[in-house]
Amino acid sequence: MLIFAAKRALTDIVNNKFLHMVSIVTIALSVFIVSAFSLFFNNATDFLDAWRKGVRIIAYMGVNVAESQRIELMETIRKSNGVATVEFISKNDAYNDLKRKIGQQSSLLDGLDKNPLPDSVEIILADSYRRLEDIEKLAKTIGEMPHVEDIEYAQKWLYRFNGIYNLFKVTGLVLVSIFFIATLLIIANTIRLVMYTRREEIEIIRIIGADEAFIKYPFFFEALAQGFLGGVAGLLMLYLAFILTVPNLTPETVFAFFEIRFISVTFSLTIVFCSMMIGWVGCFFSIRKFLKL
Amino acid sequence: MTSGLEKDIIIRMLHVNKRYGKMEALHNLSFEIRKNEFVFVTGPSGAGKSTMIKLLYMGESASSGAILVDGINLARIPRKQIPMLRRKFGVIFQDFKLIPTKTIFQNVSLVLEVAGLKAKEIYPRVMDVLERVGINDRAEEFPPVLSGGEKQRVAIARAMVGQPKIVLADEPTGSLDPDSAAHIFQLLQAVHQAGATVIIATHDQQMISDHDGRVVRLENGRMATGNSDGNKNLC
Repeated sequence: MLIFAAKRALTDIVNNKFLHMVSIVTIALSVFIVSAFSLFFNNATDFLDAWRKGVRIIAYMGVNVAESQRIELMETIRKSNGVATVEFISKNDAYNDLKRKIGQQSSLLDGLDKNPLPDSVEIILADSYRRLEDIEKLAKTIGEMPHVEDIEYAQKWLYRFNGIYNLFKVTGLVLVSIFFIATLLIIANTIRLVMYTRREEIEIIRIIGADEAFIKYPFFFEALAQGFLGGVAGLLMLYLAFILTVPNLTPETVFAFFEIRFISVTFSLTIVFCSMMIGWVGCFFSIRKFLKL
Repeated sequence: MTSGLEKDIIIRMLHVNKRYGKMEALHNLSFEIRKNEFVFVTGPSGAGKSTMIKLLYMGESASSGAILVDGINLARIPRKQIPMLRRKFGVIFQDFKLIPTKTIFQNVSLVLEVAGLKAKEIYPRVMDVLERVGINDRAEEFPPVLSGGEKQRVAIARAMVGQPKIVLADEPTGSLDPDSAAHIFQLLQAVHQAGATVIIATHDQQMISDHDGRVVRLENGRMATGNSDGNKNLC
C-alpha cells in the first residue's frame, strides 16, 4: 500500500506542479530565514566564547607604587572571584613590547624623554567566568582598588555585540515562531486545495472500498515530500549565500582567532526533519478537517 | 436454526426510513433480495431509487430501520469495516464516475489496489475484464476521449473486476443511445450469469418489459409493488 501511496503522491505532485511549487518555495524561504538565524546564533555564540576566552583585564597602576603595595594589590586581585592568573608587566617590559610590535616605526619612541607607559597588571579570567555582567563587575571592583589608576577591557565593543546578539535572539525567536505557523498553514492549505481538486476521486475511491489509510497516505507522502524538498532547498539557498559571502569577509572584519562555520550536518538534518514534521502536522490537521475523520 | 431460504437472502430491508431534513426520501421500506437475483428497482424521478442504492453501499445511512447485507447489519457495522462491506459491491452510475486523470486500466485496477492485490496479480485480471467488456485495446487511454457507451463499459469493468457479490447499477443506461444501452444491459446480464446479484435502478420501462427479472416499484419513497419473489407481473 505504501508503494501505491508514494506513486499516487508523486503523480499528484506532478499534476499539481504549480500548487506544490508555491508551497515548496514558501517552505524553502522559511527554512532559509530560520536557518540563517541559526547560522548567526551558532557563530555569534562561538564568537563570543572565543572572544571571552581571550578576555583579559589590564589594571594600570599609578606612579610611585612601592613593590610591597604592588604585591599586595596583585594578591588581592588574585583572590578575587573569577581570576585565573595575575601577571605584573613593568613599564619597561611594556615599552619594549610596544617597540617590538610597532617594528620599523619604533624610532618614533626614541624622541621621548622618558617611558610614558605605566606599570600594569594583566588579569586573565577563569574559563568558567564568561558572563559579560560578571566581567564588568570584576573590572569595576579592580578599578576601585587602591593604586589602580585605570582599567582596560573591550567593554564598549563587547556591550555592543552582546546587545545585537540579544536583539537577534528575541527577533529570531519571534520570526521562527511566525515562520513555523506560516509553514504549517501553507502546507495545510496546499493539501486542502489538492484534496478539494480531488474530492470526486476521493469519493469514487471510497465507494470502491478504500479504507481511510488508502485515502490518507498519499497526502501524508505529499506533505512529507513538500517539507523535505522545501527544507533541502532552503538549506541549499543558505549554503549558496554562505559560500558567496564568507570569502569576502576580510581578516580585518573577522578576528583571527575565530572562523565562521556553516551549520553542522546534524543541525541541517534536524532542520529538514523538522520541516518534514511540520508538513506532516499540517497535513494531519487538513485531513482531519476535510475528511472529517 | 437458519432455514435454507433465510440463508439465501443477501439483502434485507426492514422498515427503512430515510429523511433529508423534513423531506422523507424513503418511508417504511421493507423487502428482501435473494442471492443471484436480478432485480429492477423502478419508479418515477424522485421515487427514492438512488437513495435506496446509496443506503446499500453506505453512501448514506438510514434514518431508521434495519438493513442487512450478506448477514451484516449496516446500523451496527464498525466504521473501520465499512470499506470491507463496500468491496462486496460493484457500483455503476449514470454519470460513470470515472477518474479523468487516470487511464482506463488505472480506473479499473484501482479496485484491486484498494483490496491490496499485488501489481502482478492486478494486470491479468484487469486485462481480462477489459477484454470481456470489449475495451481492452483502449486500456491506456483516458476517459474523456471515450463515448458514453464506452465509459459505461469501463464502469462495468470496474464493477466486475473485484468479483463482487452484488452489483448495483443506478440508471446505467440513462444517458446512452439505444444500441449502447442494449450492449450495457447484455454485460449486466453476463455479470448476473457469472453469479452476482444484480440490482438495477431504472425508470426505463422498455428495458424492464424486454428482460426477465424481479421488479420493485417505488413511489414517493414508498414500496408500490415487488415485495414478493417473483415475476414482474406481480409488481
